[in-house]
Amino acid sequence: MVNLTIDGKQVTAPKDATIYDAAKLNGIKIPILCHDKKLKPFGACRMCLVEVEQMKGRQIPACTTPVTEGMIIQTATPEIVKARELVLELLLLNHPLDCPVCDKAGDCDLQNLTYDYKVDSNRFTDLKFQHEIDYNNPLIERDMNRCVLCGKCVRICDEIVGYGALTFIDRGIETKIGCEFEDGLNCEFCGSCISVCPVGSLLARPFKHKARFWALTKHESVCGYCGTGCRLTLGVKDNKVLTTIYDENQGFHKGQLCVRGRFGYQFINSKKRLTTPLIKKNGRLIESTWDEALDLVAGRLNRGNSVAALAAPRLTNEELALFKKLLVENVGTKNFDHAAGYAHAALTEGFSRSFGATASSASILDIQKSDLLLVIKTDSYETHPVVGFEVNMAVKNKGVKLSIISDKRGKLSKLPHAQTLVHRPGSEVAVLNAIAWTLLDEKLVAGSASLIAGYADLEKSLSGFSAEAVAAQCGISAADIKKLASEYAAAEKALIIFPAGQAYSGHNADLATAAANLAFLTGKYDKEGCGVLCLSEKNNSQGAVDMGFFAQDGGLNGLQILDSCAEGTVKTLFIAGENPLTSYPNRSKVKAALEAVEFLIVSELFLTETAAMADVVLPVCSFAEKDGTFTSTDRRVQYFKQAIRKSVLIKTDYEVFSSLIARLGGVAPATPAVLFSEIADKTAGYQGMTHVSLLKEGAFAAAVTTPKFIVPQAAAPFTAETGKLSLVTGSALYHNGTLSQYGEGPMHVCPENYVELSRTDAALYKIAEGDLVTVSSSSGSLQLKAKITPRMPAGVVFSPYHFSDAPINTIWSGAPVTSVTVSK
Amino acid sequence: MSNAAAQQAEEQELVVDLIKADQVIDKYIDLPGNLMPVLQGVQDAYGYVPRIVADHVAERLNVYPSQIYGVLTFYAQFHLKPRGRFIIRVCVGTACHVQGAQRIKETFFNLLGIGHTETSADLRFTFEEVACLGACGMAPLAMVNDDTYGKMTVQKVDEIVAKYSALPLD
Repeated sequence: MVNLTIDGKQVTAPKDATIYDAAKLNGIKIPILCHDKKLKPFGACRMCLVEVEQMKGRQIPACTTPVTEGMIIQTATPEIVKARELVLELLLLNHPLDCPVCDKAGDCDLQNLTYDYKVDSNRFTDLKFQHEIDYNNPLIERDMNRCVLCGKCVRICDEIVGYGALTFIDRGIETKIGCEFEDGLNCEFCGSCISVCPVGSLLARPFKHKARFWALTKHESVCGYCGTGCRLTLGVKDNKVLTTIYDENQGFHKGQLCVRGRFGYQFINSKKRLTTPLIKKNGRLIESTWDEALDLVAGRLNRGNSVAALAAPRLTNEELALFKKLLVENVGTKNFDHAAGYAHAALTEGFSRSFGATASSASILDIQKSDLLLVIKTDSYETHPVVGFEVNMAVKNKGVKLSIISDKRGKLSKLPHAQTLVHRPGSEVAVLNAIAWTLLDEKLVAGSASLIAGYADLEKSLSGFSAEAVAAQCGISAADIKKLASEYAAAEKALIIFPAGQAYSGHNADLATAAANLAFLTGKYDKEGCGVLCLSEKNNSQGAVDMGFFAQDGGLNGLQILDSCAEGTVKTLFIAGENPLTSYPNRSKVKAALEAVEFLIVSELFLTETAAMADVVLPVCSFAEKDGTFTSTDRRVQYFKQAIRKSVLIKTDYEVFSSLIARLGGVAPATPAVLFSEIADKTAGYQGMTHVSLLKEGAFAAAVTTPKFIVPQAAAPFTAETGKLSLVTGSALYHNGTLSQYGEGPMHVCPENYVELSRTDAALYKIAEGDLVTVSSSSGSLQLKAKITPRMPAGVVFSPYHFSDAPINTIWSGAPVTSVTVSK
Repeated sequence: MSNAAAQQAEEQELVVDLIKADQVIDKYIDLPGNLMPVLQGVQDAYGYVPRIVADHVAERLNVYPSQIYGVLTFYAQFHLKPRGRFIIRVCVGTACHVQGAQRIKETFFNLLGIGHTETSADLRFTFEEVACLGACGMAPLAMVNDDTYGKMTVQKVDEIVAKYSALPLD
């Protein structure tokens, strides 16, 4: 700590603080325009000028000047105020005073500073800027006439997002912010630039002229897409969610969001929302009443084992727990599951065997505290973009090393000094085993490893996985495997990250155990910056696992349930929020099962293609219309409150399950809060949590781990049939599950399915960007738009799984890799 | 050939021609801070920095395309459009100005039909006004590529244009 004097006040500040930080820490406000605490100091705007006695009274920027012992600082002398007024006058010289039509009004730093410094006239005259406004994309409006050149957008896009869409163009008086060759913006559309813009230069187009900033009420919530667990502030007016509002103090991510979180909220107030229960009569879904619908459903549920259920891990913990209670206690069935059963096998089977806990042994916060990140599949960025931001910051700001094992390159491969081992698709487990073999072979194993149960078995089982043998099979070099192994072993702290989800069937229990083995062999677990982090797909995937909403004790799992529907042993199927027809593998099989089952109940926000097949459709609430808790992928349990009133004729899933329990003669806990106290009592790590205690930031549910070496089964190397390509499926950056199809933002920028292929294959099959190509596998064929990218290796094609219009499960039967032909 | 077709033809040609860019990139790839020498090198190779080359440099050096464009537009030395075989620079600094640089400049303009930073359609001439060439004793001064012409007169302008118009373009 250093001692200094600010405005006559004796204060202390950390050694690495700037004058601005020191003042802020001690409650002294220095105005800023270009400074952002998340970004590196820049010093462009000169609003934060202060005087330092030791610097002979010169005016110096507080945001870039580090404190030194004994500094005497004045922050608001008449000269400084005059200088700041001059800065504002000069900015306002070119900045149009169009605040009445600017969406930023009320939330604008320039407006507020002009007001604070009472700059009501200007001694200078000049022309206003005459830049063309960029309306080329549907989400971000760029009006460079309002720009004050603070560079925050340029910096956040590089420092945090790692995309680099924007730059300073030209110089001197001509300088402006723009994209390469003055193109329109065409980026990831995360909107981070909008969030930090201090003026109205960057605005969210979906919110344009929807409401004045001061007319919005702010509601803190938790994002309903992926498992990262980002906190959101919803901007609500007239009971409608109109936008998301940036709050730099919110959550571990400091208000950073991805395109889904920021622009995907429109599904909440979508006109396509179901508004009343529907019952199938004479082959058509007819509007009905809740009483009729619930009576009918209750009558079909009272049939024990012939009833099965699938729930989306988007329901709250309370809803999943209550659903389970309904099924186990009142219906009498063990046949229930979520996310197709296999999607989170890495947790339920892999980690439970290796760590003795169905949870990751590391948190997202460990990323920036580690020394080396071993990422399995570059898709980790697409599935969890805000986790990707953490990786970017770790690599760029903290010098954390990044090694990637993947079947294709990706955005993460472009980070400074990142090394990507591109292996043949489907051989992840073999590569991890080869790393384990190398650790053993080169004696890089930690002393404590041999004390862990299963060590001898593992050592024996790895004999077939020498780096040389695996390298030959997987298309990478043995030297690269060995180098990776020695780097992993040498790093003081290392963290393994991999995504899981319905599209990543290869990221199974074996992958989880193979990753865990590496951590155990080198002693890199149960320590800060170490462990294995499984990025679970949906906002409450980890919650669904924690609530035990998966097949156990002989209950049927997701895929078995569908098989049993087809066979006729399951006669009633209750689907809460899942859309298996698009998101589960093998569409024709799913369709046959849903057609075969005697009675199909679907509770949903929308009439999805699955809901359209139901006998009863129950309209339920989105996260914005209810209270509850979600558990993020790293087991942060977060409570969120209702942001808007639900419409009269819809119910929360909680209310639906309560009513059904009552109809079946049981008693449900009165409110989610009451049920949560039961959950907290009996769920490992949740002890002591209550809705109230989770209000602000949530809390981590600790996982107690008992390491054990498990021998993973590595799949035989996949080789595409002669003349065919290897199809891998996964997540697109803009989407999550099938829900994002109802969010306008994601659909604006990624409206349809596509197939991504390498330049080599494009040339071989004479395919050009945007061509409609036919992709065929043994189970069917699909017409998709071609996207040619340098990241795909020759022989491998990628297509995401979110789209109902061109569902990949027509040609994908659930295998990690599928042989396909691609033709024009 | 329409403009668009001409541009397409040009880009088609350059696809093959990226070899020249690769040679420059290969030379500097391991050098820290290699962006400037690479951009200077590719500009020497192509006479300007075509977009397709800038994109290629971005991909190979792993630098954002936007950042490359920022650098290209920051420095006056980089050119984004094809340049003439002969670069005519007329000094309009103080000394040349008082010695009649304006008339020299206007005469070039009238003869060639191109103004400051413009290039003739046949890619023979590019015309630039510069602030000072550092040889005020020879004012008014003009340069064509590396050849210097001091004590310029209107008649000398005619002679210079005639001389360089007669030279082959290759």
